[in-house]
Amino acid sequence: MGKKRKHREAESDTNGSEANKEDAASERPKRTLLGWKEKPKENEDNATPGFRNKEKVLVTCSRRINFRYRHLMLNVVSLLPHCKKDNKVESKETKGATLNELVELRNCSSCLFFECRKHLDLYLWMAKCPNGPSVKFLVNAVHTMEELKLTGNHLKGSRPLLTFSANFSKDAHWMLLKEMLIQIFGIPKGHQKSKPYHDHVFAFSIVDDHIWFRNYQIAVPHNESDKVSRGSLEKMTLVEVGPRFCLNPIKIFGGSFGGPTLYENPFYVSPNQIRALQKKQKTGKYAKKVKAKTRRKMHELSNPLEPDEFADMWKE
Amino acid sequence: MPEEEMNDLDDEASDFEPESDAEEEDVKLPEAKANAIYDRDGIMDKLGDMSWPQDVPWIHRLSVDVDRGQEQEVDVNDDLARELSFYTQALEGTREAYEKLHSMGLPFLRPSDYYAEMVKTDSHMEKVKGRLLAEKRKMEEADERKKAREAKKLAKEVQAQKQKERAKQKKGEIEAVKKWRKQRQQSGFSGGDKDGDLPFDFEDGKTFERTGKKRPGVAPGDRSGGKSRQGGVKGRKGMDKKMKKRETRDSKFGFGGKKGMKKQNTAKTTDDLRGFKQSDTSGNKKRKR
Repeated sequence: MGKKRKHREAESDTNGSEANKEDAASERPKRTLLGWKEKPKENEDNATPGFRNKEKVLVTCSRRINFRYRHLMLNVVSLLPHCKKDNKVESKETKGATLNELVELRNCSSCLFFECRKHLDLYLWMAKCPNGPSVKFLVNAVHTMEELKLTGNHLKGSRPLLTFSANFSKDAHWMLLKEMLIQIFGIPKGHQKSKPYHDHVFAFSIVDDHIWFRNYQIAVPHNESDKVSRGSLEKMTLVEVGPRFCLNPIKIFGGSFGGPTLYENPFYVSPNQIRALQKKQKTGKYAKKVKAKTRRKMHELSNPLEPDEFADMWKE
Repeated sequence: MPEEEMNDLDDEASDFEPESDAEEEDVKLPEAKANAIYDRDGIMDKLGDMSWPQDVPWIHRLSVDVDRGQEQEVDVNDDLARELSFYTQALEGTREAYEKLHSMGLPFLRPSDYYAEMVKTDSHMEKVKGRLLAEKRKMEEADERKKAREAKKLAKEVQAQKQKERAKQKKGEIEAVKKWRKQRQQSGFSGGDKDGDLPFDFEDGKTFERTGKKRPGVAPGDRSGGKSRQGGVKGRKGMDKKMKKRETRDSKFGFGGKKGMKKQNTAKTTDDLRGFKQSDTSGNKKRKR
C-alpha cells in the first residue's frame, strides 16, 4: 500500500514537471467518464490542451505457456515501455474477477493477457480495465524477434507510428478494435522510458477478417543529424524488426474480462473443433474401408460368378 | 447381421462427410453461425465511452490511416503479395506521418550519433550480420561456380581455336620461308631488294620476344614461358636438362613408392651391365660385384 502511495506521489511530481511543458497547466478533467476521478492512473481527458495519456498496460500469461508464445510476450514487453510484466496466473484464475483485481492492484488501465491452452493455441485477451470493453483473440502465425530473418532494430522505447489499413473504419467492431489498439500499443507521449525519435512503425491490416501485425524499422540514409531532406524521403526503406502475429477476433465483451457479449465472430471455428474434425476424418477413413469390404462381400454373395470353363484346366 | 453393421457405418459416414467438408477450413460459415451476436449500438456506446476525445492532438495518437488504393485484392495465402501490401501500407503511413511531423517541426529520425539501448541486443545483431554475410557468400560462390563452369566450356573452344590459329600461322610462316628460298634460288642468290619484304613480314620484331602472357606466379627470369612449373607431360618441352635427367631416372628407378617392391630384376635386366663400368674399381675392392 505504501508503495502505491509513493508511486502516486512520484507520478504527481512528474505530472507537475511535465505540465510545464504543455501549454496550459493540467486542470481537473472537465468531463469525468465513468467516474474515473478517483483513479488517477486512468486517462485524464481534457477538452483543452493538457491531455495526458496515462495508459499503463499489464502483461501476463497463463501457466504452461509455450516457449514461442513466451518469447512473443517478452517481445511485446520490450516494445511497450508503458507496460508492467506480471507473474503467471493460475489456470483457475483466468476468468473474470481475479484478473481485474490483479490489474487494479498493479494500477494499470489495460491488460494484455496471453492465454495458452493445451500447449498449442494462444489466445490473447486485450482489455481496458475498469469498465472498458475486452476482446479475445486467437493468435496465429507467430514469428518472434529472435528470428534471424528479421533483421531490423530500433530504439527501445521510441514511440511507434501506428498505421491502420482503411478497412478499419468499415465496421463498428473494427473501429472499436482500432481504438483499443491505439490506446494499448501507442506509447504515451512524454513517458519516462520513451525515447524521442520515431524510428519504427507498426502496421495493422485487416486481411481475411484477421488483424495482421507487423513492426518495421524506418531506415533512411541521411548524413545530417535531424534534417531529413526531401530527397531521402524517397529512399526510405523499411526493415522488418518483428515480432509478427495474426489476430483472429473471437468475441468482444462489454465489460473487462466478462460482461455482455457485444460481438461474436461468425466465422470463427475454435482450433479444438478443427482438430477434432480432422481426427474424425481419419476415423471415417477406416470405417469407410471396412464398410467397403463388407459391401464387396455382400455383392459377391448376392451375384455369384458363373463357373469358369477353364478353371480346371491347370489343376493337377 | 452384416447388413446392420453396414447400415450403422453408413449413417456415421454420412454424418461425418458433410460436416468435414463444410468445416474443414475455418472460413466462411455463414450458415453455421447465423445467430452471431452483433450489438452495433452497444459497440458504438462503448467506443464513445472509452475513446479519447476527438480534439486530442494527433501527436498523442500517432496513428495514420492508409487507404490502399486497390481493395482487398490481397490473397491471404499469397505470402509475398500479402507482405508487400503490409510494407506499402507502412511506407505510405510513414510518409504521411513524416509530413505531419515535419510541419510541426518535431524531430523525426534518430541521428547517427544517438546511442541508446536498442530493442535487440548487440550480440543478436552480430548473429544476424553473420547470417547475412554467410548468405551473401553462398550466393557469390554459387555464381562463381557457375561462371567457372561456363568459362571452362568457353575456354575449351577458345583454346582449340587458338591452337588452330597458331598451327595455321606456323604453316604460313614455313610456307613463306620456303617461297623466299625458292625465290632466292630462282633469282640466283642475287640478294636484291625483293628479299626485304615478303619472307620477313611475319617478323615484326616479335619472334624473339615471348608474349608477356606468363602464367601467374612465374618468375620474371623464367624463359620457359611458365611451363616448366606445370606438372604433367603435356606441358613439357623436354628442353631442360632437369627434365631429361628426371625422365631417365624415372624410367630406371620408377616413380617412388614403396621401397623395394617396385623394380625387380627380370631375365633381361640381370644381364644388363650397361650402367656399370667394368674397369671401375674405385670402391671397395673386396666387395663382391
